[in-house]
Amino acid sequence: MRKPDGKIVLLGDMNVGKTSLLQRYMERRFPDTVSTVGGAFYLKQWRSFNISIWDTAGREQFHGLGSMYCRGATAIILTYDVNHPQSLVELEDRFLGLTDTASTDCLFAIVGNKVDLSEEGAVESREKDGCSPRLAAGSYMSPKGPKQVQLEDAVALYKKILKYKMLDEKDVPAAEQMCFETSAKTGHNVDLLFETLFDMVVPMILRQRAQGPPQTVDISSYKPPRRTKSGCCA
Amino acid sequence: MEAGGDTAAPAPGDAEDLEDTRSPSEEAGDSGGVHEEPPDPREEGLEETGSEIKDQPPGLQSPLPQLEAPSCTCRLWDPAASENSPLDDPESGSGGQGGDPSDEDWRSKRKHVFVLSEAGKPIYSRYGSVEALSTTMGVMTALVSFVQSAGDAIRAIYAEDHKLVFLQQGPLLLVAVSRTPQSVAQLRGELLAVHAQIVSTLTRASVARIFARKQNYDLRRLLAGSERTLDRLLDSVEQDPGALLLGAVRCVPLARPLRDALGSLLRRCTAPGLALSVLAVGGQLVTAAQERNVLAECRLDPADLQLLLNWVGAPAFAAGEAWAPVCLPRFNPDGFFYAYVARLDATPVCLLLLSTDPEAFHDMATCRRLVEDGMHTLGAMRALGEAVSFSKAPSAIALAYSVQAVGASGLRHFLYKPLDIPDHHRQLPQFTSPELEAPYSREEERQRLSDLYHRLHARLHSTSRPLRLIYHVGEKETLLAWVTSKFELYTCLSPLVTKAGAILVVTKLLRWVKKEEDRLFIRYPPKYSTPPAVPAASMDQASHNGLFPGP
Repeated sequence: MRKPDGKIVLLGDMNVGKTSLLQRYMERRFPDTVSTVGGAFYLKQWRSFNISIWDTAGREQFHGLGSMYCRGATAIILTYDVNHPQSLVELEDRFLGLTDTASTDCLFAIVGNKVDLSEEGAVESREKDGCSPRLAAGSYMSPKGPKQVQLEDAVALYKKILKYKMLDEKDVPAAEQMCFETSAKTGHNVDLLFETLFDMVVPMILRQRAQGPPQTVDISSYKPPRRTKSGCCA
Repeated sequence: MEAGGDTAAPAPGDAEDLEDTRSPSEEAGDSGGVHEEPPDPREEGLEETGSEIKDQPPGLQSPLPQLEAPSCTCRLWDPAASENSPLDDPESGSGGQGGDPSDEDWRSKRKHVFVLSEAGKPIYSRYGSVEALSTTMGVMTALVSFVQSAGDAIRAIYAEDHKLVFLQQGPLLLVAVSRTPQSVAQLRGELLAVHAQIVSTLTRASVARIFARKQNYDLRRLLAGSERTLDRLLDSVEQDPGALLLGAVRCVPLARPLRDALGSLLRRCTAPGLALSVLAVGGQLVTAAQERNVLAECRLDPADLQLLLNWVGAPAFAAGEAWAPVCLPRFNPDGFFYAYVARLDATPVCLLLLSTDPEAFHDMATCRRLVEDGMHTLGAMRALGEAVSFSKAPSAIALAYSVQAVGASGLRHFLYKPLDIPDHHRQLPQFTSPELEAPYSREEERQRLSDLYHRLHARLHSTSRPLRLIYHVGEKETLLAWVTSKFELYTCLSPLVTKAGAILVVTKLLRWVKKEEDRLFIRYPPKYSTPPAVPAASMDQASHNGLFPGP
C-alpha cells in the first residue's frame, strides 16, 4: 500500500479546467471532461516519494469539504481562467479561506489556464465543446480575443496571499516562479507547473520528516469516544 | 385538480388489437378501454405537431384560455422568447441544442422535463439552454400560481397528444411535457426521481434554506454538473426501460456462491463510520452490505439505491478515487452521507462506500484496498469479467445475457420482476431483462419498445381498472404483459407468434427464470455487517486526518 508523503490540492472556480490540467499531466490527454463531483484523489510517484493530488469540485456546495481537502497540504494550486477575470477574483474571495488548514509552510502556485483560447492557439473545437463558460457573446465569436487577465494580476494576487498568510517574500519562492499560464488543451506549461511544484515539495517532505509528524494525533494510542448516536450527520 | 378533460386521442383507425385473454372477473369485458389507446407515435404524428405549432399566433397568451382549451397548449412554446440569444450554455450540459422555443428541433422532442424555482427561475431543462426558456418557464409559473390562487393545485393538463404534468416539491416546481404514451402517474414518478436526484446533491433542507433566504437565487450554480446525471436518468427511461418503471434495481447475473462470497467480503471490510458498501457494474447491482449501527431500523430504500447506482455511473467517477457528499432522499432528505467511489483495478466494477464522517476518506481508501485484495483472492474479478462484457464503454449499460439464453424462439425481450422472493422483495425489489438486441438496437426502436412497455404498465396498474393480463398484437411485435402474486412480467414477441405460441413461450420463460433465479436475483437478504471492535484497519492512514473520526 502506498502512503502519500505530500499533498497537493487544486482549487479554483468551476470550469477553469482543474480536472483537465491534472488529466493532461497524469494521462497526457485532453478529454472532454464532465464536472467533477466532490473531490478526486490521485497518487503520483515522484522520485522516491508518493505525492497525492486532490482535484476538487469548484462548486459552492462542496465547500464544507474544502477544509478536509486542504488539511495538511504541502502545496495548493489556485487555478483561474485567463479569459474570465471573475475566476481570479473568486480565488481570493472564496478559495483563499479554505487554505487555512493547509500546512503552515504551504506553497502556493497561481495558474491561469486556457491560454489557448486567447492566444494564437486553435479555438474552434474548444468552443464547440462548450468548455469556455460565460464568455461574452462578442469574444465567443472572435477566435483570438485578447487575454482578459494578465500575468501581473496573478503576481499581485500571489503577493496578497503572502500578506494574508503573513509570510515574508524572502522565505518563499518568488512570485514570478509561482505564477504560471497554461493550456491543458495544448499542454503548454503543464509539465513545467507540476514538475516545478514536485521539486519544491520534495525538500518540504524531507524537512517535515525530520521534524516528526506535526499537527497530527497519534491514534494508535488514542481511544475513540464511544459512538453515542447513529444516523448520518445533518 | 385535473385541468382539462382526458382528450387523449382516440386511435383513428389504428390496427390496434388489444385484448385480454385469461383475465379473471371484471377485467374480462375491458374491450371498452381498447380504443382509448393512442396510436403508436409515428412520423406523421411528429409532423402534425410541428405544423400545428407553426400555426400558433405569436404573443403571450394568458394562462386562462389555455386551461379552458387544453388543445392550445402548444402556445407554451412561444416564439416571443426567440430574441434571447441561443447561447450554448456549457453548464447546463444540454449539448448543442439551441433551446429556443421557436426552434423546430427543440419542439420536436418527445418529452421535455423542466425544473424551475417558485419564482419562475429556470433550473434545469432536458433540452436546450434554460436561458432561452425563461419565457416558457414564466408561463408555467403563471399556470401553477393561477390554480394556486384558487386554493387548488394543478396536477396535469391533457392537451390532445400532449400531457403536461406538474409536481411541486418545496420551492421547486417540476414539469414534464410529453408526447410519449406514458401515463401521468409514470411521468410523475419520473419527476419524483428527478427531484430525488437534485435533493441528493443539495439536500432538501439546503434547497429550502437557499430559497427562504433569497427567492430569486439561481440554483443552477449549485447544480452545475448534475444536469448530466439528470440527462442520463431521463435517457434511461427511453433507452433501457425497467428500473424506474418497475421501481426495482437490476442485478448482475452471478453464480450464487460468488455473490455470497462477495457479500461476506463486503461485510468483513468495514471501517468506522461506514454505513453502506455497494458493489456495482454499469448501473447494475452486484451486492451490497449495510452496517447495523447506522442503518438498523431503516433499511436502505430501493429508490435510494437506484439513485446511487445511477449517480456512480457518472463519467466524473471514471478515474481516481472520488470523495463527495451525497444525500439519500428516502433515508433522510436533510442530511449528507459522504461517498467514496472508486473503480476497482481500472475495470468498470465500481465500489461505493458511504460514510457518516466527512473526514473518513483515507479510512475508506484503506477499506477499498481490503475489498480489492479480497476480490483477487476470490478470483472475483475474472468471474465478474465473464458475467459482464467489459469491452463496452463504461457508460453503456453492459447487460449480461442474451435473450437466446432462454431458448424460446419468438421471444425478443422481456422484463421480469419477481414478487415472491422470501422476505426480501419489500427491501430490495429487483428485476431482470436481457440485452436489447436487433431489431431493438436503434434508438428509435428502443424508444418504441419502451413506449409499448410503458403503455402496458399503465394499463396493468391503472387505478380505475387494473388488468392482470394483456395480449397486444402490434404491427411490428406482439406483447404480453402479466401480473400475478408471484411476478410481474412484460414480454415482447415476434409479430408472427400465435396466441397459443405466445403462451408456450411465456411458460418456457417462466420455467427458465425459475431455474436461473439464484443467478439472476439476490434471493436472500445480505446480513448486516458488524462494526469492528477495534478500528484495526485504519491506523496509519487515519493519522492523515488529524483526529479520529467521531460519529
